Amino acid sequence: MAGTARLAGLFAVIVLVATCAAVAAIPAFAQSSGLDEQVRAIASRLRCPVCQNESVADSPSELAAQMRALIRTKLEQGESPEAIVAYFVSRYGEWILLDPPRQGLGWILWAAPVVVLLVALAVAVAFIRRTVRPGEAAAERPESGGP
Amino acid sequence: MISILGSTAIAAAAVSSLAGLIFLLRGRGRGDQRLIDRGHWAVIALFVAVTAAVVALEVALIGVDFSVRYVAANINRATPLLFRIIGLWGALEGSILLWAWVLAGYAALVAVRYRGRHQETVPLALAVLLGITSFFLLLMLGPANPFGRLSPAPPDGRGLNPLLANHPLMAVHPPFLYLGYVGFAVPYAFAVAALLSRTLRDEWMTVTRRWTVAAWSFLGAGIILGAWWSYEVLGWGGYWAWDPVENAAFMPWLVATAFLHSVMVQERRRLLRLWNHALIIVTFLLTIFGTFLTRSGILGSVHDFTQSLIGPLFLIFIGAVLVFSVGVLLLRRDEVRDTGSLPAYVSRESLFLLNNVVLLAIAATIFIGTTFPLLAEAVAGVKLTVGPPFFNRLTVPLAMALLVLMATATLLPWGPAPRGALRRFVGPGLLSAALVAVLSVAGVRGLTLGALAVIIFAAAAQLAEFHRGARAVGRAEGQPYPLALVALFSANRRRYAGYLAHLGLALALAGVAASSAYRTESDHTVRRGEAFSVPGYLLRYDGAALSRHPDKLVVAAAVSILPPKSLEAAPSRPAAAVPAIATLYPSERLYPQQRTPIPTPAVRSTWRGDLYLVLLAVGPDGAVVLKVITNPLVPWIWTGGLLMALAGLISIWPGRRG
Repeated sequence: MAGTARLAGLFAVIVLVATCAAVAAIPAFAQSSGLDEQVRAIASRLRCPVCQNESVADSPSELAAQMRALIRTKLEQGESPEAIVAYFVSRYGEWILLDPPRQGLGWILWAAPVVVLLVALAVAVAFIRRTVRPGEAAAERPESGGP
Repeated sequence: MISILGSTAIAAAAVSSLAGLIFLLRGRGRGDQRLIDRGHWAVIALFVAVTAAVVALEVALIGVDFSVRYVAANINRATPLLFRIIGLWGALEGSILLWAWVLAGYAALVAVRYRGRHQETVPLALAVLLGITSFFLLLMLGPANPFGRLSPAPPDGRGLNPLLANHPLMAVHPPFLYLGYVGFAVPYAFAVAALLSRTLRDEWMTVTRRWTVAAWSFLGAGIILGAWWSYEVLGWGGYWAWDPVENAAFMPWLVATAFLHSVMVQERRRLLRLWNHALIIVTFLLTIFGTFLTRSGILGSVHDFTQSLIGPLFLIFIGAVLVFSVGVLLLRRDEVRDTGSLPAYVSRESLFLLNNVVLLAIAATIFIGTTFPLLAEAVAGVKLTVGPPFFNRLTVPLAMALLVLMATATLLPWGPAPRGALRRFVGPGLLSAALVAVLSVAGVRGLTLGALAVIIFAAAAQLAEFHRGARAVGRAEGQPYPLALVALFSANRRRYAGYLAHLGLALALAGVAASSAYRTESDHTVRRGEAFSVPGYLLRYDGAALSRHPDKLVVAAAVSILPPKSLEAAPSRPAAAVPAIATLYPSERLYPQQRTPIPTPAVRSTWRGDLYLVLLAVGPDGAVVLKVITNPLVPWIWTGGLLMALAGLISIWPGRRG
């Protein structure tokens, strides 16, 4: 008994040490300048117009680079992120938004998964309520593994 | 010559396939064992014929026979041998051939393995498999002919898409993906056969369990290898873009995962029979749908290197499979009755049902997000984009719920929870609380901390189960702890392999969480010998070199990693004199078949994370522009993902007890 307790302790210590080391691995908030981050945040909301399914932030294309530069200039001129996004929408249409707006058709898009989840949940709960018969199956098989 | 051989092989395959269908259905109808045996032989002949077609195409590819259109369109004389071989799955026609080959291979395995057994279901299951194969053979006889000829043969070919010819992972990612994708045809065929033949017991499930787990493992490995390929090749430092083609592979994996869990409820409680039939049908439909998305040219995406006319044929096929499967299911719905019951409201069984709800909700979300732009454009004529923000916002909370369920269901036993079951939560709870406290001291905050807390708890629950089991075995048989841990696997392989897969998931998600939250990215314009620092690293640019290869020109920049404090210790020492820890060579590669060079990143991985360098530009004055990304814990994703696939294979490896 004492042996297993010691092993358990050892086990916990190993895991603890491993994770502390893992923590050491995560660089604490050593982030580059705030402007870079803001540019990236805005660029990752926009679709690169000439690429296939890449954001302006990630695309290596010329146009994406120009758009990032434009975002930077506009930020430096004091424009708000929303105004900058609106500017690109006015030039390219809502198609450029990677995050479709929650209105019109977009509303269906956002609501549909939630509806699916709720319906599935309701069905599952109804099924559980219908099929639970306490005691009946309890003695069938105690906990054990597979077949 | 090769063309004729290949076309003949495909025609022979089509004949075998149809003959097999007739033999099997008639033989089963008349109870004629000789006909059924012939059907089995026809399946083998089909496999031999498709194999011959594959060999013919490989001979043409390796021997650069440009009289074959596919060869001329997809490789050239400079293509290295490895990439000539994998040219088989470099484009549409070859991929369809690979699909058919893998499917014929699975069918042949079924025919050999179940010869003379399960007489009610096997002939029907084989007939279903032959029906599916026939569709792919039809594609190759018609619009996707891999042996179309080109006359006169051009002196050289166009060459493989450079992105596909740029990394050896391309040699393993598609085969694994196809083994997984196509593998779900086997449980599907048995499920339908069981319904049609009214062998409504749970036999089909036990028969196909190993096939399902194998397909699940291969598909998982294929997805992870694909993510890894995109990370190593595409140069944006990411591995998952919610690209429709990635989604197409992910959806069947999710539904199959739900199936693997709910099947256990059916085995134990004789419940969910209809449900499990439906799940395997949906899984199979999603694999066909995914092939359609990828291969019909309906999408524009980085994966989508084909434009073709086979889309309509695929739609008809999907419609036919859907109508057929749902029809069979409805026809037999009253006969597929649940006979069991659930023992308690709170039990592992109930949690498995919720697990199904969450997994299906994730799959449905991805399905909606993937198809919505197509539908919106087709129906309403509206062009819109559904990108990562949509998918992340909806799937991340669901994934967290899934992890909580996973941890809880692991700790709770089957059946009604015994008194004191809550005590099992204490150990993992305390352990994760301690780790989360450490994380928070280290500066992790907010949603990332919450996500990591859930992930750590989910992992701790698995470790606790391993520990509990090993302690019990150790006590009972007096074995030392490490041996007892191993003994767990031989005692109950399926269960502990399951926990191992859970652990893999937690590892992979820890990697995803850390790399999403703490990735850094910066661009640097540097001259030769100049040192610069990024978070966690001190780097030095050591000059660029041009090299010529048969298939490409490579400009590689040498970037050395220096000891982080080396310049502070001796400020007078020039940066150029500091000895390097390692040197990376990010490069630009120029392939003759593409006008713009392809940046090829260089990655240095340690268990703590990656340093990821991309060469963006080389200036005339010798300066270069480098993109530097630091990406913590990314290798955990590959390790965890492959561990999941490995755990799946461990659980089905033939042994004393499966």
